[in-house]
Amino acid sequence: MTRALIVVLRVGVALLWIENAGWKTPPDFTTLQKFTMYAVEYPVLGPFTWVTEALVLPNFIFFGWMTLLLEASLGAFLLIGLATRFWAVVGLVQTLAITLSVLNAPNEWEWSFYLMILAHVALFATAAGRVFGLDGVLRPIWRTSSSRVAGLLMRLS
Amino acid sequence: MSVARTEPSGRAALALGVVGVISPAFALTTSSNNNFVLVQGLGLVVFPVLGLVAVLGVALAKRLIVILAGAGFALAALVQLAQFGRSPNWLDGNGSTFSLLMALGIGLLATALTPSVPSADESPAKNGTPRSGSEQSS
Repeated sequence: MTRALIVVLRVGVALLWIENAGWKTPPDFTTLQKFTMYAVEYPVLGPFTWVTEALVLPNFIFFGWMTLLLEASLGAFLLIGLATRFWAVVGLVQTLAITLSVLNAPNEWEWSFYLMILAHVALFATAAGRVFGLDGVLRPIWRTSSSRVAGLLMRLS
Repeated sequence: MSVARTEPSGRAALALGVVGVISPAFALTTSSNNNFVLVQGLGLVVFPVLGLVAVLGVALAKRLIVILAGAGFALAALVQLAQFGRSPNWLDGNGSTFSLLMALGIGLLATALTPSVPSADESPAKNGTPRSGSEQSS
């Protein structure tokens, strides 16, 4: 039962990222830009607002592509359970960035972001890719390998 | 690595292939609130066909066929990434379609291309090194 619920958690969080990669639409990423501007219009943390205004918004097309690739990768790797602990940390950091952008914006429910953070903590704590994920399938092979990549993947999974 | 059904990697490849086969179920969405992955148009064909190729590769224990399926998903992901938000958009997808294609491509390629596991006699579990039991909690 515990193992099944860990899979449900991992796949559920993966679907969260996969679905939300769907509205980061090139070439102009209009909707994403609107939410990013909330970091300036409704500031949460001064330094983050400054970085958004000085660095992110003037280079928004690049930022939009990076966001799309990051969130699509988060969904993909969490879905198949590969390097899951690494991607759990990436998901947590991305959730923090989202939180610092929109936490004070109108009609946002702060606990949705806190719950996202907690979900990624749970994925990391349970090493969720080792249960019906590729980490569980490949770790015995990585362990017996002397390659650096295998050693790295052992740490990231 | 062997992709036979009796091997963990084969079962993983089989599961990934089955996900591809049933992916058109995402088209049964009733609203934007349960539209997890956009699968429509040519995507309704590409997902199940490549998934079937992967399932066939596992059924025949042919690693090359699984690699071809994985490469097909990866190629489709790149095509989707290059085209969505533009015209033409051959797969009629978006970032969610790209993400699922990437998952299946990377997953199948990882299971089929990872070098073989040592024989059972040489495996750490046989030599007393904790493995499956500690994997769940370490």
